[in-house]
Amino acid sequence: MLRGGWIQSPLCMERCMNISTPFSSNRWLGLLFLLPTLLILVMFLYGPILETLRLSFHQVAFLGLREEFCGLGNYRDLFFEPGYRRMFQATLIFTFFTVTGGMGLGLLLALLVHGVKGGRGFYRLFLIWPYALSPAVAGVIFLFLFSNQVGLVNAGLDALFGRHPDWLASPALAMTVVVGAAIWKNIGYNLIFYLAALSSLPRDVLEAARMDGAGHVMRLLRVFLPLLAPMTLFLLVVNLMYAVFDVFPVVDLITKGGPSDATLLMIYSLYRDGFEFLKTGSAAAQSVLLLGAVAFLTLVKFRTYGRGIHYGGRQ
Amino acid sequence: MVKWARAACSIVLGLVMAGSALAAAPKKVEVTFWHAMGGGNIAFIERMVADFNFTHPQIEVKAEYKGSYRDTLNATILAHRQKKSPHMVHIFEVGTQMALDSGIFTPFAQGLEASALRDLEDYIPPVANYYTINGQFNSIPWNSSNPVLYYNKDIFRKAGLDPENPPKTYGEIMKAAEQIVRSKAAVKGITWPLHSWFVEQWISMQGALLANNENGRAGRATETHLDSPAMMRTATWWKELYDKGLYAYSGKPEDWDGANKLFVSGQTGMLITSTSDVTFHQAAAFENGYALGTGPLPAPDGMERNGVVVGGASIWMTRDKSPEEMEAARTFLLWLTNTENGVRWHKGTGYFPVRTSSCDVVKNQGWFEKNPAYTAAFEQLLSTRVNRASQGALLGPFPEIRTIITDAMQQILSGTPVEKALKEADTRADKALQDYNRSVK
Repeated sequence: MLRGGWIQSPLCMERCMNISTPFSSNRWLGLLFLLPTLLILVMFLYGPILETLRLSFHQVAFLGLREEFCGLGNYRDLFFEPGYRRMFQATLIFTFFTVTGGMGLGLLLALLVHGVKGGRGFYRLFLIWPYALSPAVAGVIFLFLFSNQVGLVNAGLDALFGRHPDWLASPALAMTVVVGAAIWKNIGYNLIFYLAALSSLPRDVLEAARMDGAGHVMRLLRVFLPLLAPMTLFLLVVNLMYAVFDVFPVVDLITKGGPSDATLLMIYSLYRDGFEFLKTGSAAAQSVLLLGAVAFLTLVKFRTYGRGIHYGGRQ
Repeated sequence: MVKWARAACSIVLGLVMAGSALAAAPKKVEVTFWHAMGGGNIAFIERMVADFNFTHPQIEVKAEYKGSYRDTLNATILAHRQKKSPHMVHIFEVGTQMALDSGIFTPFAQGLEASALRDLEDYIPPVANYYTINGQFNSIPWNSSNPVLYYNKDIFRKAGLDPENPPKTYGEIMKAAEQIVRSKAAVKGITWPLHSWFVEQWISMQGALLANNENGRAGRATETHLDSPAMMRTATWWKELYDKGLYAYSGKPEDWDGANKLFVSGQTGMLITSTSDVTFHQAAAFENGYALGTGPLPAPDGMERNGVVVGGASIWMTRDKSPEEMEAARTFLLWLTNTENGVRWHKGTGYFPVRTSSCDVVKNQGWFEKNPAYTAAFEQLLSTRVNRASQGALLGPFPEIRTIITDAMQQILSGTPVEKALKEADTRADKALQDYNRSVK
């Protein structure tokens, strides 16, 4: 009943407003109200987007003191230069492991917390905690944990096994650390969404499964996962966006894209080209690619999010 | 009562001074100065500027801290586009070619009188050398530094090494590091930040060039020499140190703090880093209770020491300003680095003075007896030969090439054959150079 009420109320409000506002017929007044927002959007969003697009077709020197049209030259470099190919490769590897790892662990922890009888609030609080930290803090924590000589992890490994690997100097290990930091930072987000989804699963289905004698594994594979699919789809999109766009501080603080570009993610490469190497044209081309990706993901997100909500509300 | 009288006096005085300042206001020439000296140095610079403004009533200098070197240069370019550029800008050495090409600056020595030109000869030759471009004194050197060896005398003693005689060559470093690790006096022998700057210094130390056209000084550089024998020698030695477990670094490139931490915490017996950290290391040694020693940057065995490239930064003047403003800016810059202020600068910040006369004053004051850690820095600087190698390379995309060199070194340490990594780096750097050169033509 309650749930039904939740869904009903916004619809009602919409309907009421349509009927009662005398201004709704006045198009110009509406536009006037929109004007401040439009102005801000044009100045800070649409304008810069167009400018970025324009710059991506130019070879730019000294932040725009000199510009020369070069057609698709910047894009050609992006796709055919070995340096950039390594960047795409690193971005793909990072994204894959961060998304699957983050969602897998999030689901696992959510199932465990969901199954706990007492102290669920306690577990929930502490598992969500990392999400409340800023990515910069997460970066610094991992930097200190995995520092070669003064890090806590190596102190432990040294005491137990007499080994202290160069975490940040080997490409594979450095990528592991960066992925680990990114997953750790975002795990609370996945956890809380999965917990919410779990607690709103239809009880009759779960009970039926239990009565039919389905074991833990069977229930997970045949009941939980299919029922959670809409939430998983939504989280997949959000995690993808996180892995591609929000990890700049983690990379900047832990590896700076090293060793030898092994953790050079696109978002970091863009910054480095734009503000450290002053290759504005190339940086613009990279942000256009990222813009395309974010636009696509946002579209998918809006669609899947709508579906996710319908699911829970169906009686 | 006395207090009240004093307060009243100061208020009256303040009013009078404010009044006179107001009266004199139209005559004052205002010049702005953007710098990149953060931390405690901001206050130090503010004080120096206040002193200047007090002693030069006709000129009002406004100093502003603009963030990192990159931020400062970027801000200047953007301000120039809006015709609001400052009069003086603090630019790091690798930004030299870029600043030249941007066309928004003017050489310092241009339009200078003969007597003032003679005054410029007081700047220490290797320092002045870096900032002399096309035979002209281009910018005023300010915070200069170069790399030296720091070592922990207690660890040396424990390892059975002579604490008064630091290793000076690649081979001696290797031996000392081996002895430190073998005797368990420290976990590792030596550390320095994995940074291209050290590679550049070792190229200069061997009298070799980093790029063609005499390091880009005789004409625009079009090719780098990243796979030269001098590079191979340095990279091979570095890799050997690492493979034998003698060299430590935090794993992160350009991690200056990480290297300092390793040394200060006694995990390594030796450290190579900038002379600008002498003050920090003296204090750290005192706090942690070990004896600090310094020595020159090690050089390859059996080679004559050519000397170091003077790193750091200098102050540039922007063009298209009125003659009065230019004159005021010149006056300020010469004052800022004069003999007396050079001494003050050195003692306050640890950067060494840029004038020979300042060095003499410091020496005569018995400064080195009280602060022996500074000796190595001065000796190394004063014994550097003035030639194209120690003048340092002028490369437009130097920041990018630095990253390429750092990358290559990291690849070498993690197992890529030296020759392959350097060849690849050379190709990448050449491409960066060509792209840059094309964009400024």
